[in-house]
Amino acid sequence: MHVHELNPKRTAITLLIFTAVIIVGLITLKSPRLKFEQDVNKTLEMIALDEGYVYPYEIADVIEGKADTVLLVDLRNTFEFAKGNIPGSENISSVELLNEDNIERLNDLKNKDVCVVVYANNQLEANGPWMILRQLGFDNVKLLLGGYDYYKQWEGKLADSYGDDAFLRGAPKYDYKELANSTKVAGSENTPKRSTIKIARKKKTSVAEGGC
Amino acid sequence: MGPLIPQGIITGDWDFVIALLLGIAFGFILEASGFSSSRNITGAFYGYNFVVLRVFFTAVLVAMIGLLYFDYMGWIAMDMLYILPTYLTPMILGSIIMGFGFVLGGFCPGTSYTAIAIGKIDAMVFTGGLFLGIFMFSETFPFFSDFYYSENMGNITISEMLGVSNEVFTFILVVVGLAAFWGTWIIEKRVRKNINPYKFD
Amino acid sequence: MNKNYIYLTLLMLILSGGLFFLPDRDNTKYSNPEDLMWSIVQPTRFVSTDAIAKMIIENDPTLELIDVRAADEYGGFSLQNALNMPLDSIVSDNYQEYLGIDGMNTVFFSNDDIKADQAWVIAKRLGFDNVYVMKGGLNCWMSTIIKPLEPEETASSEAFELYSFRKGASIYFTGNNIESSSESKKTTLNITRKKKQSVAEGGC
Repeated sequence: MHVHELNPKRTAITLLIFTAVIIVGLITLKSPRLKFEQDVNKTLEMIALDEGYVYPYEIADVIEGKADTVLLVDLRNTFEFAKGNIPGSENISSVELLNEDNIERLNDLKNKDVCVVVYANNQLEANGPWMILRQLGFDNVKLLLGGYDYYKQWEGKLADSYGDDAFLRGAPKYDYKELANSTKVAGSENTPKRSTIKIARKKKTSVAEGGC
Repeated sequence: MGPLIPQGIITGDWDFVIALLLGIAFGFILEASGFSSSRNITGAFYGYNFVVLRVFFTAVLVAMIGLLYFDYMGWIAMDMLYILPTYLTPMILGSIIMGFGFVLGGFCPGTSYTAIAIGKIDAMVFTGGLFLGIFMFSETFPFFSDFYYSENMGNITISEMLGVSNEVFTFILVVVGLAAFWGTWIIEKRVRKNINPYKFD
Repeated sequence: MNKNYIYLTLLMLILSGGLFFLPDRDNTKYSNPEDLMWSIVQPTRFVSTDAIAKMIIENDPTLELIDVRAADEYGGFSLQNALNMPLDSIVSDNYQEYLGIDGMNTVFFSNDDIKADQAWVIAKRLGFDNVYVMKGGLNCWMSTIIKPLEPEETASSEAFELYSFRKGASIYFTGNNIESSSESKKTTLNITRKKKQSVAEGGC
């Protein structure tokens, strides 16, 4: 006989405390306000596809106010937005993007099948917020390639930018191998050789036609 | 939140403080469970007292269930816990040697210290032997080192090896453990009926 | 035998059985999108090509360069000691071993910074810390390190210091000599130049 068996209540009490801790823990468990809905593999698929991106010439209609199923959202801060923006866009800065009101608004837009096109100064700035929204399950959010900087360049004649592909990122601008191994690197030559890699381009469309 | 040190919540300097607190608690529980008595410990080998099995099984089951719940609640990150690497054959041989020491000496290393704490002379001799063994092993380690490190299976857990989820494995172990509790009570009852306790005159 | 033990047995069974009924929950460190957004709006994830060049030249042991382009592009040219981890396979287990190594700073790069940034978002979501993006990518690497532009004569002395560092780096990485005809003239101009606060950098 040992203490343990003489006092079986002791085991009962400790185990009850243990259970109580677990139950209290489970009850007080807060589920996070926002949850990643999209599987990581799906995200990888999504960023490789064309579907999530909007080409600059596609928003020409939207700017002219012809499409009401598309909403442009400027992710820059209010200061930059005030300095200049794409007509018809709404300003929600990245920092405030996940606020309760904005999430509600995005949900609302999603239910109404409105296509939300986010942009910032360039693609890189808007990339993170866009990826987060997509991962949160907002499949109606698209990313404007080129961003505001590119729009500014082509302001007023955006539809004509169809032939231009300067907004496309990801292609090498130089022949790296040649450049890295060349016996003579010219320091003064400042015209980078544009690569000849041709990127398959979408048919000329407007984002308003396709819907989301 | 946890584990505290790997997560960087407290520094590694707290290692010894935590070890001391855990050690005190562990020793207290060992003594409170009657583990400083060789009779309780070796009883498992003769079949009249399975308290060792029950205490350790209870501890294992509670710890397993608790860890899984705590991991679920985000209180502890289970994938950050250190898992001892498994060296299969050396470990089997080691446990056989340990079992022999257990039943011959009547203590396992931990309980021999709790027994010293309550003043048992046999436990003092036992720990003396323990240190002698450790010394001899360390001195002759180069001869064993190849075997010691053989069949490294890495930091693997049984549920990973069997390919079942932690929950399933825990449930199976709980059922097995509870069956063992009730089974050993029955064995104890039978064995104790046939024992004539030795009486000191 | 005590009745308590029957209750205890049942309690343990319920507790362990309850594990099966817990609804799914993601407990990864960055499961919180708000935290992720917070680190996205900060530019701290970007590392300049100059910093990378410096680390490579100094053999910084904590630097882990990861090329997220496709394998054939990686085969064509990549940075020194860079690992190839094509973006679409970043989730696979063999690659994840290379992320989140203690004490290592992982820097993603691609042709420019979009792909690397996407890899960064994914890695962050998966809970890896100490990941960075090389600002401007290889295009910027070529235009700043390998083929640095000479600053205007009116530029600050920092710009010239940077230029001379880049020229040195270029020689280091290509093994070539850069045209240095008008160098001496430039240095004399340097001395008289007032120090400016801001560091002039190649625009990427």
